[in-house]
Amino acid sequence: MTMTRRDALKAKAVAAASAAAGMTAPAFAQNIPTARDETELTWSKAPCRFCGTGCSVMVATRNDRVVATHGDAEAEVNRGLNCVKGYFLSKIMYGADRLTMPLLRKRDGVYDKNGEFEEVSWDEAFDVMAEKFKKTLAEKGPEAVGMFGSGQWTVWEGYAASKLYKAGFRSNNIDPNARHCMASAVAGFIRTFGIDEPMGCYDDFEHADAFVLWGSNMAEMHPILWTRLTDRRLSAPETEVVVLSTYRNRCYDLADIEMTFTPQSDLALLNAIARHVIKTGRVNTDFVDKHVNFKRGNTDIGYGLRPEHPLEQAAENADAVGGSSDMTLEEFEEFLEPYTFEYAEELSGVPARRIEALAEIYADPDKKVMSLWTMGVNQHTRGVWVNNMIYNVHLLTGKIAEPGNSPFSLTGQPSACGTAREVGTFAHRLPADLVVANPEHRKVAEEIWKLPEGTVPGWVGAHAVLQNRKLKDGEINAYWIQVNNNLQAAPNLLEETYPGYRNPDNFIVVSDAYPTVTAQAADLVLPTAMWVEKEGAYGNAERRTQFWHQLVHAPGEAKSDLWQLMEFSKRFTTDEVWPAELLDAAPEYRGKTLFEVLYANGNVDAYDISETEAHPNHESDAFGFYVQKGLFEEYARFGRDHGHDLADFDRYHEERGLRWPVVDGKETRWRYREGYDPYVTPGAGVEFYGKPDGRANIFALPYEPPAESPDDEFPFWLVTGRVLEHWHSGSMTDRVPELHKAYPNAMVYMHPEDAGELGLHRGSEVKLTSRRGDMLTRVETRGRNKVPRGLIFVPWFDANQLINKLTLDATDPISKQTDFKKCACKVEAAT
Amino acid sequence: MRFPRTSIQIITLCGVLAAGVAVAQQATISSLRPTPPTQDETPPPMRPAIDASLREVRNYPEQPPVIPHDIEGYEVSANFNKCLSCHARAATGRSQAPMVSVTHYVDRHQQVLAQVSPRRYFCTQCHVTQTDDEPLVTNTFIDIDTLIGMSQDSE
Amino acid sequence: MRKTLKTFWRIMRRPSTHFSLGFLTLGGFICGIVFWGGFNTALEVTNTEAFCTGCHEMEANVYADLQQTVHFTNASGVRAKCSDCHVPHEWTHKIARKMAASKEVYGWIFGTIDTREEFEAHRLEMAKREWARFEANDSLECRNCHSYIAMDFSRQSPRAAETHERVLGPGDGTCIDCHKGIAHTLPDMSEQQASRLLERPQMRGHQTALVQDYLARTAAN
Repeated sequence: MTMTRRDALKAKAVAAASAAAGMTAPAFAQNIPTARDETELTWSKAPCRFCGTGCSVMVATRNDRVVATHGDAEAEVNRGLNCVKGYFLSKIMYGADRLTMPLLRKRDGVYDKNGEFEEVSWDEAFDVMAEKFKKTLAEKGPEAVGMFGSGQWTVWEGYAASKLYKAGFRSNNIDPNARHCMASAVAGFIRTFGIDEPMGCYDDFEHADAFVLWGSNMAEMHPILWTRLTDRRLSAPETEVVVLSTYRNRCYDLADIEMTFTPQSDLALLNAIARHVIKTGRVNTDFVDKHVNFKRGNTDIGYGLRPEHPLEQAAENADAVGGSSDMTLEEFEEFLEPYTFEYAEELSGVPARRIEALAEIYADPDKKVMSLWTMGVNQHTRGVWVNNMIYNVHLLTGKIAEPGNSPFSLTGQPSACGTAREVGTFAHRLPADLVVANPEHRKVAEEIWKLPEGTVPGWVGAHAVLQNRKLKDGEINAYWIQVNNNLQAAPNLLEETYPGYRNPDNFIVVSDAYPTVTAQAADLVLPTAMWVEKEGAYGNAERRTQFWHQLVHAPGEAKSDLWQLMEFSKRFTTDEVWPAELLDAAPEYRGKTLFEVLYANGNVDAYDISETEAHPNHESDAFGFYVQKGLFEEYARFGRDHGHDLADFDRYHEERGLRWPVVDGKETRWRYREGYDPYVTPGAGVEFYGKPDGRANIFALPYEPPAESPDDEFPFWLVTGRVLEHWHSGSMTDRVPELHKAYPNAMVYMHPEDAGELGLHRGSEVKLTSRRGDMLTRVETRGRNKVPRGLIFVPWFDANQLINKLTLDATDPISKQTDFKKCACKVEAAT
Repeated sequence: MRFPRTSIQIITLCGVLAAGVAVAQQATISSLRPTPPTQDETPPPMRPAIDASLREVRNYPEQPPVIPHDIEGYEVSANFNKCLSCHARAATGRSQAPMVSVTHYVDRHQQVLAQVSPRRYFCTQCHVTQTDDEPLVTNTFIDIDTLIGMSQDSE
Repeated sequence: MRKTLKTFWRIMRRPSTHFSLGFLTLGGFICGIVFWGGFNTALEVTNTEAFCTGCHEMEANVYADLQQTVHFTNASGVRAKCSDCHVPHEWTHKIARKMAASKEVYGWIFGTIDTREEFEAHRLEMAKREWARFEANDSLECRNCHSYIAMDFSRQSPRAAETHERVLGPGDGTCIDCHKGIAHTLPDMSEQQASRLLERPQMRGHQTALVQDYLARTAAN
């Protein structure tokens, strides 16, 4: 499988030549090759690199290159289908500008923040990087180093990073970009059920009678789940689809009931539905009596802005955002009294009759309902509340944790669940739902990691938005970004993100496969192996853990994030980064490198390299043991027998994934339900065992206004989001010619009458301005998104149209997740 | 035939290497965006989809073909599927359009249905139109025919 | 009643005793112009986009649809308004259509289509009425602007040019056959699709008769 230098050069040349010619070599008048040794391809499975659906793809390789991909017919998730991005996975690794050498900003041969990028060796890169990290740790301590990771990290990459930061550097300033994406869903799960991730699974699609989309453009963002929903809806005409959104999108093409609502009014709609269920006597009292508690949530909790912001100053409960007190069903009913359909109509603009039709779907005991949501709910300054309130309706009616009755929080990223959430790469978490603030939980981690008590710090680290603020304020000075393009993705780019990256006190490292705008703003760029250039594991939205093998070699000197983390750990000894009392507690670790303490600890290096022989594995080759297996098996100890059981490592390479908890070799499809979930106490029927009393919480939560609304100066709502053809910031998909040409540039979707009143045409160049920044784009008055008057939609994939210059860094105060769906802006002709 | 092809390879190789070196020493490495985020980029004009109706070669047989014609205003909803009004089996005689592939008649459980499977109903999830915008970055994917040709060459 | 009519007839027959013939003819002529002008102006007002979209059900449904289409925005900036497609340009047909439209006024007054749901419920019925009209008049309102003879095939996409030449040229079809939904989203078309697929070109003449005969015989068993 190894490629000679000559082969590599030749490959490069032919690629360039064929690219110049547009496509493949022209067809000459000759017969096709038929000999088996010429036409045989090696096919292997791998999960898709893009969204949280977790489709499995078959990948064909030959001569150390990926030559084809197609949907895996054996995979239960997608049964042979892929979306257009998935079908083009073959090309994502082959952008001509792949990074192949570390790049360091230099002037006169030495590192200089204002220097130009120059190629350097890994040694030089890590030397400079280690020096900066050591200096920061020595001068300011663990709170001044940080890391921003990803829900696109593999399970072991996230785990290795978490160990390096939380145990090695003793800093909890590590957060994934899943914070922008799933944090409200996580907090919603923890508040209502005490345990993260959906109770149901994708099998619910084939069982439900009605589907309700609460702010999820599945048709574009989860296309393969949309095929399952479409399949069910069109094959069984009695089923219904209800689409709620703040603008018409492709999901409306299948909608039986469409509800375009005013931003933020989803809170009122959900309360009106709960009220209707109670008022019409359709509460499942048996279920509620046995399995539910009622809580009154704290209100007026602010908007997650900087503490000096007037909105935070004015918020009564800005310091007790997640608090709640007990209440009864009767009190809950009383609380809901104002939320009549008429009041909900007044706030949302949705006709009362239609709200009632939706409420009836939930209230009807004979209808199995699947509620689905993603960013419309999670990227919301009251996102946790909306999550809680969707569960309210399902809990009131008992429509939960059984086939077809399923409140289902979809995930955005391929391993937002598997890595960010389950491994716990958040600033407040540890694996398997443990948290750093709990001393007992820290102790569990320290025992598994064979580290002295007190290694893992108890302070909650800085979350995504706070990391940017701290970089800008010079409080975090050494910072490492892996597998994401946060300069393009984070809110309020000009005021809060970019200044921190270019702050002269800070050293910014970016690991990426491609030179993104974030890499451009960095001081050191590390070339990174991607997808099937490394062995990996992802966990999708239905708790399914999926593995893949390394199938090809990465170009040049590119190495996986895992290799980078582990190799970098060799540059630190415990004496340099741990305080004396910790070293006294574990004298055997004195003078050891972090690599020895964290990874060569008898767990991680327990599996022999000979087990990797069948496939390339550059990390194991480098470190001399089966790195991925060792990390996974150590990590799996956290969850086994604690409701998060994972199967043995080797089994995942055989299966098309398994849904945890995997107990006695069997996966679990519906949690909390006896007969499906082995953790439910026999005879209990249903048990929400995440909570000590086995009961889930219904929360009384009101409508509260958003952080910023349109006014005379900034008359439009700005909503941002993705498009089908591009993944996130486009760093992979915009390098695939077919995907680029399918959706080449971002644009602003506007109502034709709004455009007309401003003297704008379809195609006009316009300037969008908010209180924080501006951007040039062009007007689209038609197409896939039909926005109501007074609202505009702009996708964020385009590196040349950085819409996050305009967005507001307001977050849900509980989850700290940014609201990318609501801020005020104006539109004017570009002059 | 071999001689000119090799020459092209060498010439292009030089070009690639030169470009590579140039990139390595520039202040700007970001290849999708030439300027810092503080500046505004002028958005390129919006172009219509290519409407030539000439089939594009697929990168591999399993790739869904791109749509070689304009589909603006085509309705694909629960009510009506404009694409199938030409590409459905029974419509191809009149339309002379390619019939949707037989895979489209197979459901989740590998059963062949009488009509296109509802799971394949929304065509644009896999099939997309193309504009004539130049890709911002060249893609060096090598298709299998070229790769086989290369191994024959090197023998 | 009959008596009143008789009296009126008598007065009309009797020559005028108070007004001159000139006054009567000229006055009648002027009144005619005023009335006709007023009538025509009023008729024209009912042809404007503002009038058509004056009621909510039009504005929120069909007009919102139109705004997304090529008849609303296009390269040359020629916009088709509602009446261009839905009101015949030729006088007698126009009056006939306007008289038929009084039914729509009735519907509006009594709120037949107040909500989106009601609109959706009636959409197929209304669409079918329009398609039938277009089929009957060989897509006359399309052809008011788009005449086959004026088409420049070199400026059409190859696919469009080929189809127009093959179908429209010999008169094998009319515009609306293929262009349903050109200006509005469509109602549930399952019925339409099924019936259209039966009219397959290869099933012509005696073949169709043979098949029908066979079906009739086998159905009897």
